[in-house]
Amino acid sequence: MLKVILRNMWRRKARTFLTVFGIVVGIFALTVLGGLSARLTQQVKGAKSWFTNSISIVPTGGSLFGGGENQFFTLSKVQEVQNVPGVKEAIAGIGLLVKSSQTFSFGAPDLIIGLDLSRSQDLLKQLHVDKGRGLTSGDRGKVLLGSTLANKLGAQVGGTVDLRGRQFEVVGILQPTLAAPDTFAFVSYKDALELFFKANPFITRGQPITSVIYATWDKGANPEVVSNRISKQVSGVRVISPKEAEKQISQFSLIFNAILFGIAFIALVVGGLSIINTMVMSVSERTKEIGLKRAIGADTRTILGEYLLESSVIGLLGGLIGMGVGLLAILLLNDATKSNNVTVFAISWLVVVGPVIFATVLGTLAGIFPALRASRLRPVESLRED
Amino acid sequence: MANVVLENLAKIYAEGDTEEVRAVNGINLSVEKGEFLAIVGPSGSGKSTLLNLIGCLDVPTSGHVFIDGVDTQGLNEKELTRIRREKVGFVFQDFNLLPVLNAFENVILPLRYLKVAGHERERRAKEALDLVSLSNRSKSRPSQLSGGERQRVAIARALITNPSLVLADEPTGELDTVNTCRIIEVMRELNDKLNQTFAIVTHDPMVAGYTRRIVTLRDGSVESDLSQQPADLHCDDKPSI
Repeated sequence: MLKVILRNMWRRKARTFLTVFGIVVGIFALTVLGGLSARLTQQVKGAKSWFTNSISIVPTGGSLFGGGENQFFTLSKVQEVQNVPGVKEAIAGIGLLVKSSQTFSFGAPDLIIGLDLSRSQDLLKQLHVDKGRGLTSGDRGKVLLGSTLANKLGAQVGGTVDLRGRQFEVVGILQPTLAAPDTFAFVSYKDALELFFKANPFITRGQPITSVIYATWDKGANPEVVSNRISKQVSGVRVISPKEAEKQISQFSLIFNAILFGIAFIALVVGGLSIINTMVMSVSERTKEIGLKRAIGADTRTILGEYLLESSVIGLLGGLIGMGVGLLAILLLNDATKSNNVTVFAISWLVVVGPVIFATVLGTLAGIFPALRASRLRPVESLRED
Repeated sequence: MANVVLENLAKIYAEGDTEEVRAVNGINLSVEKGEFLAIVGPSGSGKSTLLNLIGCLDVPTSGHVFIDGVDTQGLNEKELTRIRREKVGFVFQDFNLLPVLNAFENVILPLRYLKVAGHERERRAKEALDLVSLSNRSKSRPSQLSGGERQRVAIARALITNPSLVLADEPTGELDTVNTCRIIEVMRELNDKLNQTFAIVTHDPMVAGYTRRIVTLRDGSVESDLSQQPADLHCDDKPSI
């Protein structure tokens, strides 16, 4: 049966090739974007687990990654936050880009995060140290590096790295999480503050400032309620609760997934129409054969099945090739960006199997109309056809 | 019981709004099992339409077709398909072999629709190709066969289900004299051997001459229905110049 279908497809090599190629292009795009989406999902998951450990408080207009370098508030705000009932620790923090010139990054940017180490042990406990040790209260000139950043800087535990022109001793490297903390460098608040002043010489020194306050909550307290209280009691701040952080991060991936579905939809329409077109042509070319088959005893269901199978095979073939080429592209691109310590694509079962199933189902669906047409042909009339 | 009985059979095609064409116009006919008959007549006399009606490829406007005592009137498409599959074998003027299948695969096709088991199918296909002396060409595609060979493959395909009735529509229409003679020879041999009914539509007097009964149609009706002593076949004789 399958042999016959393949031979029939082979009869019209050029047309079959073009139809399959149409599917291949769509499925290729779907696979590559699927890989991108899978990677993004990993990062979003990691980012969620980090950013939902605490409530982030930034100056009004600031974002999840801190207030930015031009937005900050005075240290007195830390005490104000600390005074809110339900807040366990309010931690002064400073977020700085590792490279002042970094403008775009895939996923989380490389960040220096300065934390008040005497109060942030709860928060730091959430990080899993792979080599060396974590930061302890009183550490100065020491850095705890995320795995990706460590790789990028060529850092070894016990060695030193240059962060914004200052040498830091690497005390520990974190386990890879495939997400946000991988690109972070944790230092003490005071070290970060110095770097901050150095980067912004016009700001009056001496006035201790903070660009972000991390707040942990008392055991049993609802972080959303606590967040609400903070925004009511403390003025001039934007409070990003764990739920809101999650929402913000999800939004990022939602937009991306919407694009993905958009591409999938285009692939569906273009590929589907081209299969329908090809199959309709096949049916009209083979009208006489269909009539003959009916004459020698094929029932309508047999004819329907034959044509449905043929269009599914076209879909499957396009799916397999498109996925294969897409996978190859993902591997090559990942390899090419390896030297920059960036992983743009992830491969999951869904990335591999999804597009193939999608293409096969598409082929089958696109075959329904032509196959029905074929099966409804009247035997006498089809036999008369030339 | 007669193999085929036609009762007041009519097929009327509407042509335009008012004109109608009576392709088959009230035919009564009875064919016994094992008969070897020709249906002749001028073009447009309704030969092919009649054959299609007998073979359940087409449904009559009125009247009845009985195949082995079964009235096909009012049967649905599925039931008509079953009759075609089990009772009827078709041979066409232009052979109608599937180009992507080789001779063996073409012959075996009806058995697949009959859902005969694989090894049984192959045994019978070999047998059928043997009957038409084409065992040595079983792997050839239709494009690699001569016209006569193609028609023999088609005959093997028609016979493989062991139908009670073989309907041939101008089976020699595209063949030269020698091959025409051979095809008729094969059909007559099979008719003797297997006792299946053969109804052959033809406008070739030589072909009709080899049959035992000639039904002549004109304007959709039976003009004459004559039994005869069939002519002897001498296929290897070169036609005289």
